[in-house]
Amino acid sequence: MKLLVPVKRVVDYNVKVRVKADHTGVETANVKMSMNPFDEIAVEEAVRLKEKGAATEIIAVSAGPTACQEQIRTALAMGADRGILIEHDGILEPLAVAKLLKAVIAKESPDLVILGKQAIDDDMNATGQMLAALLGWPQGTYASKVEPADGGIKVTREVDGGLERLQLKLPAIVTTDLRLNEPRYASLPNIMKARKKPIETLKPADLGVDVSPRLTVLKVEEPPKRQAGKKVGSVQELVEKLRNEAKVI
Amino acid sequence: MALETDGFAIPELAEEHRMVRDLVARFVERDLMPLEPAVLKRESEGGRYGLTPEEEAPLLARAKELGLYGLDVPEEFGGADLPVSALMAIEEEMGRTVTPFIFPPDSPNLHMLLAVANAEQRTKYLDPYARGEMRSSIAISEPGAGGDPAGMTTRAVKDGDHWVINGRKIWVSGVPRADFIILMARTGEGKRQEGVTAFIVERGTPGFVIEREIPMIGGRRTYELVFEDCRVHERQILGQLGAGYAPMQLRLNVRRLQMGARCTGMARRALEMLCEQAKNRTTFGVRLADRQAIQWWIAEAATKIHITRLMVRDAAAKMSAGQDVRTEASMLKVHATEMAQEVLDNAMQTFGAMGMTKELPLQLMAAQVRVQRIYEGPSEVHRMAIARRFLKERG
Ligand SMILES: Cc1cc2nc3c(=O)[nH]c(=O)nc-3n(C[C@H](O)[C@H](O)[C@H](O)COP(=O)(O)OP(=O)(O)OC[C@H]3O[C@@H](n4cnc5c(N)ncnc54)[C@H](O)[C@@H]3O)c2cc1C
Ligand SMILES: Cc1cc2nc3c(=O)[nH]c(=O)nc-3n(C[C@H](O)[C@H](O)[C@H](O)COP(=O)(O)OP(=O)(O)OC[C@H]3O[C@@H](n4cnc5c(N)ncnc54)[C@H](O)[C@@H]3O)c2cc1C
Repeated sequence: MKLLVPVKRVVDYNVKVRVKADHTGVETANVKMSMNPFDEIAVEEAVRLKEKGAATEIIAVSAGPTACQEQIRTALAMGADRGILIEHDGILEPLAVAKLLKAVIAKESPDLVILGKQAIDDDMNATGQMLAALLGWPQGTYASKVEPADGGIKVTREVDGGLERLQLKLPAIVTTDLRLNEPRYASLPNIMKARKKPIETLKPADLGVDVSPRLTVLKVEEPPKRQAGKKVGSVQELVEKLRNEAKVI
Repeated sequence: MALETDGFAIPELAEEHRMVRDLVARFVERDLMPLEPAVLKRESEGGRYGLTPEEEAPLLARAKELGLYGLDVPEEFGGADLPVSALMAIEEEMGRTVTPFIFPPDSPNLHMLLAVANAEQRTKYLDPYARGEMRSSIAISEPGAGGDPAGMTTRAVKDGDHWVINGRKIWVSGVPRADFIILMARTGEGKRQEGVTAFIVERGTPGFVIEREIPMIGGRRTYELVFEDCRVHERQILGQLGAGYAPMQLRLNVRRLQMGARCTGMARRALEMLCEQAKNRTTFGVRLADRQAIQWWIAEAATKIHITRLMVRDAAAKMSAGQDVRTEASMLKVHATEMAQEVLDNAMQTFGAMGMTKELPLQLMAAQVRVQRIYEGPSEVHRMAIARRFLKERG
């Protein structure tokens, strides 16, 4: 089984994001960038499938600026075999990324694509689903367990009412949820080995994909500041304030 | 960015070295920092500053699994052979925690052994040491000669194919866990640096006595050693007879760069804590973060941390290029320890009474930096060395 794992470069989850002064987006200059945590889970799952002998090759692919190489390199250090960078400097919306991935899939013919359920920057939660739709492939989203079974894969999803189990025929799309696994740290020897693994660079034009944005961002704003709390002296005062100030009862 | 010929542009860490640094940063945050409360509690109650075997074993296993053994060990000995700049970036991350843990081997003696050990000594001492299976100490200082070690009087006298050592060493770190020590002693008639020889003395050699343990601030312990007709075979001589001083210096330069990096890490932690407290604490109706007094501490600290990191990078790049970095190492030793002392003190001040408690790592770090202003050469001696070289270069 050949696996494709798309990885996205996002603002590191430890960084407190700031809105740009001109309200066009969030500040990414001089900010620590990392691999989207859900994508790390996707890479980990792919590596585990390979270690179990269920997968033969893992390709990590990232679309975005040249610096996305760092995230591909991280995936290679975790255990992916080779990388593909689709170099593009502007905005990439989920539909554009899904189209780029579809074009890469046409070249590489993977049996399984494992994506993060969403990226922690724009929280779109769309690329995996769009890709499945474009390809007409079965999809198992928010996976909390992935097992090869009966020539396909069995995906467990955490849904409101409990656990839902899906049996997917290959080729298929899986998106990862937080509890699927705990990603490993890439070890030092594997970091060194990753240096020698190949990364192929493509442009959207090479793949014949038009990535121009279809959405217009009007304005990006900070969430409203939380008001400081107030201490009340008695239950009566609390009830009075809830009724007359907060007007919630 | 490439290193400019004038040596001013300091190269970025290579991508893979940044990844290794980030790996260590994660190890520090996820594996070491959570042990701090237990470490601090034990130390504050008068116990040892250290990890229990139960705490240390999984860390060693994890470090091994992550390939974080033998970071500065050459590839021929199975190490990672990282360049000095990468090692220092790792050291900086390690400086952020007071949980005492060292990726084996504890390496300063490695450089001395690598430089001068003969084939037999390589197999017997260097190989296991490089694998992290042996530990060692170095005994230079004496009651009458510390900052000026060339004044040492411990003497070894030849007797057939053996040497008989007599004398006293003090302030020696890590003795109880050391499988062997590198002992510096006089063998010739020369004055000062001349006639000083390095011997490898194994634990348990008759006449090698651990006289007493000396508790120190910062959770440190050092030892006073007595040598009474301690006989060692001449094959225990490390390097050339009478020429032990220069390789010993080699060891100290690495150590001083390391101290610079470690101080940078400690100061970073202190500044992070200071900022956190300043944002959360209000006095007289105003956040501490909005007071100029506190803001200037932050500004000074951030600036000086940056300066120190650049000094470390510069010295590391020069050391890798084979340049003599004695002056840079001295500058760093003085500047980094004094910088960290100031930043830690301001952080403790910002925390008020909380900063005085033994629950925060700040006081322990401050005591450790205080000690660092003495060992590997007191600040005053380094200032003297910098000035002397500077004056000499100018005729
Ligand atoms: C925690 C710790 C661990 C140590 N570990 C080891 C070890 O493993 N092995 C080992 O051999 N040694 C070790 N030492 C010893 C250390 O190297 C010496 O303490 C250090 O070199 C200073 O020597 P001294 O203590 O004899 O001070 P001295 O040489 O007596 O100096 C005392 C003070 O005099 C002043 N001074 C000295 N010379 C000058 C000068 N030229 N100009 C102006 N002022 C001057 C300085 O203020 C200096 O602090 C350790 C020390 C400590 C604190
Ligand atoms: C050993 C010890 C014994 C003590 N014993 C007692 C006791 O017996 N009884 C008792 O009631 N208390 C006691 N205290 C508490 C002591 O009085 C307080 O710690 C002290 O008043 C500072 O208050 P704080 O710790 O809340 O610090 P904070 O008020 O939070 O101040 C922290 C830091 O913020 C900065 N800061 C604060 N205000 C300003 C400002 N306006 N402008 C600029 N910077 C500012 C200062 O750097 C200050 O150090 C003791 C403290 C210690 C350390």
